[in-house]
Amino acid sequence: MKPAAFEHHAAGSVEEAVSLLAELADEDVKVLAGGQSLVPLLALRLASVGHLVDVNGVPELTTISNGDGLRFGAVVRHRQVERSPEVAAANPLLAAATRRIGHTAIRNRGTIGGTVAHADPAAEVPAVLALLDGSVEVRGEGGTRSIAAADLFDGYFTTTLEPEELLTSVHVPALPEGTGWSVQQFSRRSGDYGIVTVLATLALDGDGRISAARVAYAGVDAVPLRSSVAESALVGQTASAELWTAVGHDAAAVLEPGSDLNGSAEYRRHLAATLTARALQQASERAGGRA
Amino acid sequence: MRMVGAKVPRVEDRRILTGNGHYVDDLQLPRMVHAAFLRSPIAHGRITSLDVEEARKAPGVHAVYTGADMRALSKPIRSPLAQGATPEIFPLVTDTVLFVGDLVAMVVADSRYLAEDAAGMIDVEYSDLPAVVDYETALDPGVPPLFPDLESNVLHTATKEAGDVEAAFAAADRVVEVTLSQHRIANVPIETRGAVADYDPGSGQLTLHAATQAPHGLRLQMAQTLDHPMDRLRVLTQDVGGAFGLKGNIFREDFCLAIAAKQLARPVKWIEDRNEHLMASGHAREERITAQVAVTEAGDILGITAALDMDAGAYPGVPFSAVSFTGVISLLLPGPYTVRGYRCDSRVLATNKSTYVAYRGPWAMETWTRERLIDMVATELGLDPAEVRRRNLYEGADGDRMVTGPTLAGITTRECLDRALERIDYAGFRAEQEAARAEGRYLGIGMAAFIENAPGPKEMRPNGGFTGGEAARVRLEMDGRLTVFTAQSPHGQGHETTLAQLAADEMGVPFEQVRVVHGDTQVTPFNILGTGGSRAATWGSGATMVATRKLREKVLAIAAGQLEIDPSDLQIVDGVVSPKGVPGREIPLARLAGQMTLMPQTAPPGTDPNLQAEERFTGEETSGSGWSGGVHACIVEVDLGTGGVQIKRWVVVEDCGRIINPAIVDGQIRGGVAQGIGQVLYERIPYDVEGTFMAGTFMDYLLPTSAEIPPIEIVHVEPEDDEDGGVGFRGVGEGGMIVAPATLTNAISDALAPFGARVTEQYLPPAEVLRLAGVV
Ligand SMILES: Cc1cc2nc3c(=O)[nH]c(=O)nc-3n(C[C@H](O)[C@H](O)[C@H](O)COP(=O)(O)OP(=O)(O)OC[C@H]3O[C@@H](n4cnc5c(N)ncnc54)[C@H](O)[C@@H]3O)c2cc1C
Repeated sequence: MKPAAFEHHAAGSVEEAVSLLAELADEDVKVLAGGQSLVPLLALRLASVGHLVDVNGVPELTTISNGDGLRFGAVVRHRQVERSPEVAAANPLLAAATRRIGHTAIRNRGTIGGTVAHADPAAEVPAVLALLDGSVEVRGEGGTRSIAAADLFDGYFTTTLEPEELLTSVHVPALPEGTGWSVQQFSRRSGDYGIVTVLATLALDGDGRISAARVAYAGVDAVPLRSSVAESALVGQTASAELWTAVGHDAAAVLEPGSDLNGSAEYRRHLAATLTARALQQASERAGGRA
Repeated sequence: MRMVGAKVPRVEDRRILTGNGHYVDDLQLPRMVHAAFLRSPIAHGRITSLDVEEARKAPGVHAVYTGADMRALSKPIRSPLAQGATPEIFPLVTDTVLFVGDLVAMVVADSRYLAEDAAGMIDVEYSDLPAVVDYETALDPGVPPLFPDLESNVLHTATKEAGDVEAAFAAADRVVEVTLSQHRIANVPIETRGAVADYDPGSGQLTLHAATQAPHGLRLQMAQTLDHPMDRLRVLTQDVGGAFGLKGNIFREDFCLAIAAKQLARPVKWIEDRNEHLMASGHAREERITAQVAVTEAGDILGITAALDMDAGAYPGVPFSAVSFTGVISLLLPGPYTVRGYRCDSRVLATNKSTYVAYRGPWAMETWTRERLIDMVATELGLDPAEVRRRNLYEGADGDRMVTGPTLAGITTRECLDRALERIDYAGFRAEQEAARAEGRYLGIGMAAFIENAPGPKEMRPNGGFTGGEAARVRLEMDGRLTVFTAQSPHGQGHETTLAQLAADEMGVPFEQVRVVHGDTQVTPFNILGTGGSRAATWGSGATMVATRKLREKVLAIAAGQLEIDPSDLQIVDGVVSPKGVPGREIPLARLAGQMTLMPQTAPPGTDPNLQAEERFTGEETSGSGWSGGVHACIVEVDLGTGGVQIKRWVVVEDCGRIINPAIVDGQIRGGVAQGIGQVLYERIPYDVEGTFMAGTFMDYLLPTSAEIPPIEIVHVEPEDDEDGGVGFRGVGEGGMIVAPATLTNAISDALAPFGARVTEQYLPPAEVLRLAGVV
């Protein structure tokens, strides 16, 4: 469990990082952020690199700003997100989802840009981006571009970033006033990746009818998924336990999850149905509470 | 103050918690080099070519060893305690790899990094052979044996029969039949395996610094296998970060390190990484039992027959192979119950998996089988499982005997059961359970009993049993402090504390003035097992006590001579000898010991100024039943939406005789329960049908964390103090883990009773819970 040799480059600025990535493009280069995913892969020799461009010391990547939604520098740590009063106010769902990432020690190091770039299909933050139509900003030698969540995740552990591009910031919209939300996850132990994670937001009109709904899943496919089945079945309906159960069932039925040591595809669908119903229940309670 | 029985803080804790412990990886020796092993990626196959030339030339590499190289430098590894068919094995594979992780080559380099780089340059080609991964294939006489020098993959068969089986089954109203399986798990101590071998060509001295629980066993085996003279072979072990039975084994890697150190005349270090550990250090528990239970409609258990299969993996463990545990399983399976006819057939099978190793209560299959069977009998007869237990439990009366022979006089299982059920409010729970079911919530209660011969009644261990008891040595230092040399090799049990408590009381010195020395074969008495098998509480304690008593006699004889008074009129309190009730004539031990050491010629006539004593404890002085045991009960709630199991309460009523240190005893119990919970809900070593190993990291092999372990309520059933100095302490290291899986699976089964679930596999992850409930 010792990584093969590589060269470590500590970048001091975004420009420097981007030019190193371009310069070393032919020599197996990767960005090193919190290292919580990359370093184990290197240590197990499941991945090897010629060069690491370390962006931990890039000051402009460490800030959180709040204007048109929340904007996070790529090396903002999970722990910063979960403890930020601004995040708690603008988007408590993101804070709650972030709190589900591993254990404190992991969240102290792991970064928001890292988890998005790593694109683990079971990860929470990519699913938040999918749920809320977030986006990322990336910088290459050619300049800066923005990628919407729907265009970002491209398969297991794969994004549409070019190898020589640096993810510089993550944009997560604020939750509209009065929106109820829920993060439901089942994992076998505290701190594990969820086997299935369900995120939901709901808004109710004055008559208790659902005026807006979003549902997204992690852990059920190669990428985080929005559930159009659930969303279209919810809007216009009246909140009820029966509705949650029915929507959970229907939304889960169209999922095509894989099987692994934790359970079969069928088990995951069952979990998705359960957790969807629970998420909708909680989101609607929260929506009511804030209405 | 009397130390025995007091909740003395562990003397080990300050050192370990402040980072001042000494683990083998802390050792840095001049000129030390590092080993890495190339391991087989396949379960079974012949090595058709092996090219190590590029690796030999790689930067920083000192040597690369192949199986052929090692074979030339080693004798076959033969356990002095081998049982069953035993193949000839060498440190590295010479021809055919037998499991994923098998040892193909060893690289020694300036650093572990460079060693791993070079290992990656070795070119190996394999010709695949079909893998033997399940019981049926291993039993198939048409499948070639894994070891060409053995006749079959069945390494051992045995039958134990006791009482009248035929009569028992003839008298039965019903026979309940079931096959129960326990899955493969791993010990996973925090500290993995590891050693530094250091050879001094000048003196010929070979020193092994090893993370082991049996330094003397390691030394003996090393001497035999390497043909190394024992006067020049020393094993040292300091702090060990857990072992749970694993490190009682002597490993093929150990021989490789010593051989390389001798060849290279340099210290060679190898610290196993977690990936190697999960894959190749050894695994425990994979067993199945097909059982028949003869019962009456009223719930009397008349007879049991059991057919045990044990999956021993590829190489027999050294010195204890899987075979060595079948005897205990078949002996103890009837437990504290009044079974009249009993038979157990055992088979031990070789497969293409990592070696079967001991893990905390290696015979626990007997408890899981019996206690699961009792619940199944209760379900089938429509009886209460507590009542079925009460109906069949021995009282612990003088004539009570387990059907397999040993006396059960003095066992307290019945009291433990009553107290456990009272504490958990069994009657109240049943009402709560019914109400919850009406709301669609599924609660369950489980209980299970175990008894363990730790050390067992006297008749089971004549003359100290198979090790002939255990010795300890104590020495009074010139400053009046006491050093205890123990044959135990603690790795988390706290013997530096408990043995010091005992010695302090026996000698009459302050607890802080007793030092316990362990883990150095040059100074500690021989014990092939080191620490294991819940033996220390009786044997380690007894040895310390009798040796200290002997030394105290010597001291009192000297003081009596100096004071011209009878030794029986003397006492030693707080390190000072004085005539009882006569102030002013005190002799501090420091003065006495200093004088006897510097001027032994001044010893009173007929006394011995050599203030050491080594005594062997053969168990004559033990008091009590000899059985450790107890009953656990727990309450769970099963979430049918997720398959998750929440443990709401866990009650332990345990009898381990007299308690030396309640904090340590409770810690042992809690740790065992935690591992038992892990075994049922989280842990499983997975192989696929080709023998591919599928849990290379802790992402796939799930250990419970503290968040998964409920508060554990512990009640002790403790006898009166021994007035006559008897050794009434019994082992408590394994009980928690022996009985926890049965307790928990019984509770989950009870929760799922409305669905008619039949729990026959011990591993119950959420997906399996839902399958049993018929949900998924
Ligand atoms: C025990 C454990 C449990 C965990 N549990 C969870 C969990 O429950 N949920 C979860 O979501 N995650 C979990 N993680 C992963 C953790 O969240 C990581 O923080 C995250 O996946 C990656 O972030 P990082 O900053 O550590 O990235 P790194 O490990 O440094 O990098 C990961 C990948 O992203 C690339 N990368 C990183 N930053 C950038 C960038 N700015 N631009 C371009 N590419 C970049 C790297 O090159 C690499 O390929 C766990 C990790 C561990 C060790």
